[in-house]
Amino acid sequence: MKFNNLFRGLLFLALSGLVAVASWNLPNPSQQPLGPSAFPLILSGLLALCAAILAVGGARATQGSPLVGRADWARSGGALARLLLVPAAVIFYMLFAETLGFLICATLILVILFLAGGTRPLQAIGLSLAAALVIHSIFYLGLGVQLPWGPLEPLRW
Amino acid sequence: MLDAYVTALGMVLDPYVLFVITASAIYGLVVGCIPGLSATMATALLVPLTFFMPPVPAIAAIVTTSTMAIFSGDIPGCLLRIPGTPASAAYVDDSYQMTLKGKPELALGIGLWFSVLGGLFGTAVMMVASPAIADFALGFGSVEFFWIVMLGLGGAVFIGSSTPLKACISLLIGLLIAMIGMNNPAGQPRFTFESTEMLGGVSLIPMMVGMFACSEVMRHMVSGGGAPPVVIQKIGPIFANMWRLTKQYPWQLIRGSALGTIIGIQPGSGADMAAWMSYAMSKRFSKEPEKFGTGHPEGLIEAGASNNSSLAGAWIPALVFGIPGDSITAIAIGVLMMKNMAPGPTIFVNNPENVYALFLVFVIANLMMLPLGWAIIKVATRVLTVPRRILMPIILLFAIVGSYAINNSLFDVGVMLAFGVLAFVLEENDFPVAPVILGVVLGPLLEEYFINSMIKSDGRLIGLVDRPIAAVLAAITIGIIGWTILASLRSRKTGEQPAQS
Repeated sequence: MKFNNLFRGLLFLALSGLVAVASWNLPNPSQQPLGPSAFPLILSGLLALCAAILAVGGARATQGSPLVGRADWARSGGALARLLLVPAAVIFYMLFAETLGFLICATLILVILFLAGGTRPLQAIGLSLAAALVIHSIFYLGLGVQLPWGPLEPLRW
Repeated sequence: MLDAYVTALGMVLDPYVLFVITASAIYGLVVGCIPGLSATMATALLVPLTFFMPPVPAIAAIVTTSTMAIFSGDIPGCLLRIPGTPASAAYVDDSYQMTLKGKPELALGIGLWFSVLGGLFGTAVMMVASPAIADFALGFGSVEFFWIVMLGLGGAVFIGSSTPLKACISLLIGLLIAMIGMNNPAGQPRFTFESTEMLGGVSLIPMMVGMFACSEVMRHMVSGGGAPPVVIQKIGPIFANMWRLTKQYPWQLIRGSALGTIIGIQPGSGADMAAWMSYAMSKRFSKEPEKFGTGHPEGLIEAGASNNSSLAGAWIPALVFGIPGDSITAIAIGVLMMKNMAPGPTIFVNNPENVYALFLVFVIANLMMLPLGWAIIKVATRVLTVPRRILMPIILLFAIVGSYAINNSLFDVGVMLAFGVLAFVLEENDFPVAPVILGVVLGPLLEEYFINSMIKSDGRLIGLVDRPIAAVLAAITIGIIGWTILASLRSRKTGEQPAQS
């Protein structure tokens, strides 16, 4: 997503408003002259100021142009799909790491990302297995991190 | 002090520490050499591993990796005209021209030899200056520290950035992120959205991994592109002409090292700015400026020394005040805090042997760069052909596991992703990312100093400037900010559009 400065400014203005609302009524149990809400309020004020300057400058510079444009790469569906693969892979790991175990999860993620990058299937599978095993060894054997095993539990070494 | 150095030497010469240094050196050299993988990314990916190490090897790993990666970024710049890290961009034309003329060994030799000399210069300054500054700063109270942090942040945003307004917004976002959790003077949970995981604040490691590794992977996904073809060449003897060049351009070497160190000390401007400024200065004072950009060694020497000396320079404010000079030292400060070695003047009193060990690691890393750098240059043509489409997915997996490993927490993996997306969107919209990390690292300190100062002065703002050192620091900070604002207003008046993108 590429935004113009007017849109960016308005976005940050809204953010500073939310911060101000969220910090306005924070309890101040020790009755200090400046409680826990003071500093976030100052920050949100400064953010609002910067955002306003950005928005005004943006409104002047880009009259009539769209608020949200698309970066050059976003015009190609392939690039966008490859980009979305990254969050998809991480979310997949978060959802399935416990049930599938690290080795299976990691291999699946790598195979898909390799294939998306244009690696040949056989090479992709071989590399994925090798990389998953190496990373597993670094963290499990080297650092003692308990990575989930999933259905491979009987094979635990 | 000598005793502490002897203890420190013992700590550094421990076989495990030496192993960590060597492994990090090779890792830093290889990652820095691959275009598209930056020194910052190399360092961020290493942080989860340092979590499991004692303090000295942890810091040694960070120092060594960053030093090596900054040097080896010169290699693809020279052979492919693609700088491996942004710090090598300034002189990429000159070094590539040398390769085209059939002298890649000259460009690479200069990169290696003068990086080492520059790095040692910066290290020497750091070893002498930081204990002295720390001694002076021992008498500082919360007011002085408040202004030092302000000066650091102000410098980062208003000097180190081409778009101060956007850098300012990035910084404020970072500071606001730092407000999350209970880590504030009042101990109140803030912005936690009732989530227990957020009570402790955003964990630094997943955040850094996300911002500097995950976002890079995303950027690679949209830009794609395989490794560019290497004009495979035989690389001749590397050190052949170095002594002659050192004698021919001693002044350039010293000037580059000195300017690099100073720029490193100045918070917010790191190795890349050091290289650009030194290259420009070299051209400005050269007797033959017309040769610059055509494969002339002079600018290469000055800027190559400069970017490595700035690395050590950046550690001075980092160690003495806990103020990062660039994103790599911001990561390093995070690691120090994690190891209960929170930087500040007292670290020189309480933990001198750890600090001296850090100094010695710098010396060792720079010396080790000679043989290992020579080796990486010899195999460089092969390292360069490792395709990024293979590396990037592996890096993503490493980022996932690294974030998970710290607390065995899938929530941290989510944090990693969130900050990866944030950094990607910010950069797509031309907001610099480094100020965010500075804000997150310094936010809690800034608030604490501010609130403590206000409590001492019963809430009167005059309390911030009624001590002489504080007043001077305040004047400098306000001067930097005011000057930048004035300059941008003036450029607008003369009809010249300020940098808008």
